[in-house]
Order: sequence, then structure tokens, then C-alpha cells
Amino acid sequence: MKLRTLALLPLLVLAGCKPTAKEIKIGVSAPTTGSISATGQSAKNAIALVQDEINAGGGVQVGDKQVKVRFILEDDEDKPESTATVFQKLINQDRVLAIVGSYTSKCSNAGAPIAEASGIPVVSPWSTNPNVTKGRKFIFRACFIDPFQGRVVAQFATSKLKAKTGAVLYDVASDYNKGIAEVFRDEFTKMGGKIVGFETYNTKDTDFSAQLTKIKGSNPEVLFLPNYFNEVPLQIQQARKLGLTAVMLGGDGWDNPELVKLGGKVMDGNYFSNHYSPDIDNPIAKGFIAKYKARFGLVPDAAAALTYDSANLILKAVATAGKADSKAIRDALAATVGFQGVTGNITYGGGGDPVKGAVVIKVEDGKFVFDSAVNP
Amino acid sequence: MDTIIQQLFNAAQLGAVYALIALGYSMVYGIIRLINFAHGDIFMLGGFIGLLLTTRFGWMPFYLLLPLAMLLTALVGVTIERVAYRRLRNAQRMSVVITTLGVGIFLENLVRLTVGPETRQIPARLPSAPVVWLQQHLGAFVTWDKLLIILISLALMAILWLVVNRTLIGTAMRAVADNKDAVPLMGVNLNLVIAVTFAIGSALAAAGGIFYGQAYSIDPYMGIDLGWKAFIAAVIGGIGSIEGAVLGSFLLAGVEVITVAYLSSNLKNGIAFGLLILLLLVWPWGIMGKPTLKKV
Repeated sequence: MKLRTLALLPLLVLAGCKPTAKEIKIGVSAPTTGSISATGQSAKNAIALVQDEINAGGGVQVGDKQVKVRFILEDDEDKPESTATVFQKLINQDRVLAIVGSYTSKCSNAGAPIAEASGIPVVSPWSTNPNVTKGRKFIFRACFIDPFQGRVVAQFATSKLKAKTGAVLYDVASDYNKGIAEVFRDEFTKMGGKIVGFETYNTKDTDFSAQLTKIKGSNPEVLFLPNYFNEVPLQIQQARKLGLTAVMLGGDGWDNPELVKLGGKVMDGNYFSNHYSPDIDNPIAKGFIAKYKARFGLVPDAAAALTYDSANLILKAVATAGKADSKAIRDALAATVGFQGVTGNITYGGGGDPVKGAVVIKVEDGKFVFDSAVNP
Repeated sequence: MDTIIQQLFNAAQLGAVYALIALGYSMVYGIIRLINFAHGDIFMLGGFIGLLLTTRFGWMPFYLLLPLAMLLTALVGVTIERVAYRRLRNAQRMSVVITTLGVGIFLENLVRLTVGPETRQIPARLPSAPVVWLQQHLGAFVTWDKLLIILISLALMAILWLVVNRTLIGTAMRAVADNKDAVPLMGVNLNLVIAVTFAIGSALAAAGGIFYGQAYSIDPYMGIDLGWKAFIAAVIGGIGSIEGAVLGSFLLAGVEVITVAYLSSNLKNGIAFGLLILLLLVWPWGIMGKPTLKKV
């Protein structure tokens, strides 16, 4: 009896394998090491959540059958050259149908041309620089773009904080920082403010005291720091040590728990624009936040929320397309209307940039508190 | 007006850290004609040892912590010399230079693996209140930690000068620098002199690392960029010369800060490196270096 069951086992295994032999493979390019590895970790967590959710329900519906989904996550180290390698590997070696990534705009700008040439659709969760999707058919994003973000912060500074003078310190070697800094400068001036300092530094610089001292000389009411969370606390700390009293403002690059871990008290009382706030009243967001908290013990940051939305956008497009074909998935993505995500509703109006709103968040006692919402 | 004086303090703080690193490059080169490219990473390691001590032994006051971190880093420096460089002392110049690069990469990855790649800051141990006197009399907003970092660095450099010029081991070091082959014949222990040089260089770099971690921040790869800057400062000052390393460091930091303050922050590195190229074209021995003729 026992032997007979054993003899049947291989047959069972084979039978069990057959429907799952075909799976949908989706690539993820995220910076899990390097200076913003905290963002890569958020991405990894969100992807794990999406994969388990979809496969618990049997997988994604493709035509008349359900197919399991496998996400293949590769580390792009937040370096453009590594991102290019990761995109090539995902497309040529792993043969993925679509890609989620990359995160910073400089990396997405390196990966996007490769995907575009191979006809693989990409949804970048976090790259807000306009050039990422410009003139490309296969590149989409789940977030708003910098011109909008720069305008949100400029508007907040002039109307809510009633600031008349402002200054900017930004990383000139990074697409994201440079783009948003320039938009802020133009919009702030248009809204009646005066830019009294516009200073730069290079990625990896750690001493900003010369630039900050120069800015201090012109005594601005607000200082805009559109840089990443691993540098901003040091910049604010050095600014305070040099006697600068301006209110500090930032963009979505601030959004990571590392910001207050590194900066502590100096971060309090400053504001930044973001994709979503955990305090916002949205049932989909509430469900996501609860699940994420239960599994990882952390409140998800915007990178996690946007990764979750990006992956689900692709899965929905696969279901809509009804076949495992990159071109069909791309067409389904482009036709997305009113996708309800954690970070709001996403509709693609022709290009790869969604129309969606932003929030302004205040740092208070080391916590991110919702301040106001801005719609386009 | 007030910002000029504040900028001078910014430059002095940065220059002090450059100098603490540059001295190690210069001393080692002066004695065994070796450019130790791992030295920038010794500086990084010193910063991380400081971080470890401040977080593990919260009770330890700064005046105890600094010498202890310097001592530990000195031991690492001596060990590296003993294990990796000594056997290659008479090998081809290129072999040992490549080895120093390898040691540097090893140290970077060791710290990255054990501590992690994130940017960190050494918890503040120096008072960060502004110096009231400077604020009232010069209108300059300078915090106590900045002033102390500059003063302690200068004190360390003064001690180094005394050791090199007024002690027996210092005399031996200068003798080795003069003629490495003849000195052992006089009964001087060459290995000891070289080990002491590495120890002093590493200890100074560790002080630089701790100051840097207090004033700015530290990460496992910071030794690359700052190591290059300090090396350039040593070359500008005249590599092999202690006074030159200090002078070159303050000069480089001054040029960087003044460029940012009065020209544009975009030009900072361009001007600093341009200065180096110009100097090497006109006076390749560096400010304090002596023209040497190679006898054929």
C-alpha cells in the first residue's frame, strides 16, 4: 500500500506542476544597498506584500486561466550604470514581461531607454523628473512630476507661510534635485517671492558650511532643500549651527524614517511635499498600511506605497490585456482610467505621467503629520 | 562682514581635518617613498571606531575617547603595515601601490558589511552652543565644537612637530627620510621607525575622522573623496614635508570655501584641482618641497 502511493508520487508532482509551470515574471529594480538603501528596503517589503496577496488568490487572471506571479528583484545600488545592467539582465536573461523601477530619476533615466528599445513596459514608482517618461511609449510612473511638486512647495511657502524671501541649496549632480530646485525658483518668483540664494553642491559632499554661510548672509525666510533624506538632516544641522533660522522646506525625497533617525530634533517644524500621508482618509490606503505595519512593524513611506501601486497597476494591466504579452500590457497600462491606489486615483491621459494630487507634511516631534492637500 | 569671519572658521575647520589626514600621507611618503592609498580609509575607520566607542561606552568623556580611538586606529595602521606592506618594501613600486589600493577597498567593505552603508553621525560630545564672545565682538556665529575642533587639531599638529624635531625617535625618523639604506648601519631599528610613522599617521587620521563625524557625517566610502583631497593638499604643500602638509591643507580648504563664498559653488572642485595642476606645472615640488636633482 505504502509502496504504491510512493510510486504514484512522481505523477502527482508532475500533475501539480503543470498549471504553475507557466508563471508571469515581473522585474523590480530597486536600490537595496548604497546610500538610500532604506528606500530599496521599502520597495522590497511592498513587493513581497503584493506577490503574496496576488498568489494567495491563485494568481493573476490571464484570459481563461489563473497564473502565479513572480517578482524578480535586483539591486541597482542607486547608480545609473548598475541600473542599466539590472534592466539588461531582467529583460534579456530573466525575460520579464514588465518592470517596476527604478527609484531615483537618475537611475530611471539610465534604465528607461533599454526597456523602451526592447518594448518592455516600465512603471517607475518614485522618479519624479519629467525627462523619465518624455518621448517614450513604454515608460510610465505612479507618482506626480517635479514641476507640480515644485509648484506645490512654492505655493505653500508664499501663501501659507507668507514668505517673501527664499533660498535653495541642492545637489547639482542629480536630475531630481536640480529639476525641482529650478521649478521652485521660477514658481516662487512668479508668486511674488524673491530668491536671495541659489547654491549647489555635489553628491557625496558632506560639508555644506560655506554655501550655508553665504545663504545666511542674505537672511531668507525659507530655505528649500530638495535633496534626499540621507543628506537633508546634516544640511539642516549645519545650517542651525551657523545661525540660520529659516523654515526648511523639502520634496518627497525627505520621506523616509531615516530622516528623523539621523536628524532628531533639528527636523521639527519643517515641511515637505509628498505623495501620500498615512493619516489620509482612504480605505485602500488604510488596508495597505494595516497589512504593512502588521508584517514589517513599520509605517510605510511613500516609496513603499508607490511601489505597491506600481506593481498593482502592472498586474491589473496584465489582467486587462488578457495575455502574457509586453506590448498588450503596455497598451492596457496606457488606457488605465481611475485606478484606485494607496496614493490616490491614477489615470493616464495619453502620456506616462498620471494626473494626481500631493500633500504637505510637517515634521513634529519626530513624526510626519499631515498638514494640507493640494490638487492639480 | 560677519559672514567673512564665519567663512574663515568654516575653512579652518575643514582645513584642520584635511591636515590631519594629509600628515599621514606626507610622513609615510617622506620616510619610505610610499603613497599609501589606504590612508583615506584609515581616516574613515578612525571615524567609525569613534562612533563605536561613543555608542557603546556612553559614559566615556571626550578627552578619554579621542586618545583611545587614536590608539586603536594606530594599532590597525601598524598591523596593516606589518601584514601587507613590509614584505613588499623592496619589491617593485607598483606592487605595493596596488596593495595599498586593495587594503583600502578591503577596509571600506569591512565597515560596510559590519556597520552598514548608511550615513551616520557621531553623537555630539562637544558643546554646540555659539561662542558668545565671537558673536558680540565680531558678529560671527561660531559654535564651540567648531572652535574646539580647530584648536585640538592645531594642538595635535604642534605635538607632532615636537615629536619629530625634539625627540630621539623623531631624529631617527628624519634620518630614515634622509637615507633609508645608511641609517640601519648606524644601529637604528628601521622596522621600528617605520611602524612608529604608520602609528602616528593613523592616529592623526583617526582624530580627523572623529572630528569629521562630529562636524559633518561619516559613511564607509567617505575616505575615497576626502583621502584624495588630503593627498592633493599634501602634494600642494610638498609631499614629504610636515609643515607643507599643514600649509597645503589650510590653503586648499581656504580656496574651496572662498570659491563657494565669492564665486560659485559649482566651481569648487574645478578651482581646487585647477590650482593643483597650475602649481605642479610651475613648481612641481610643492610649496615647501625642495627641488631635487636626480644623479645619473
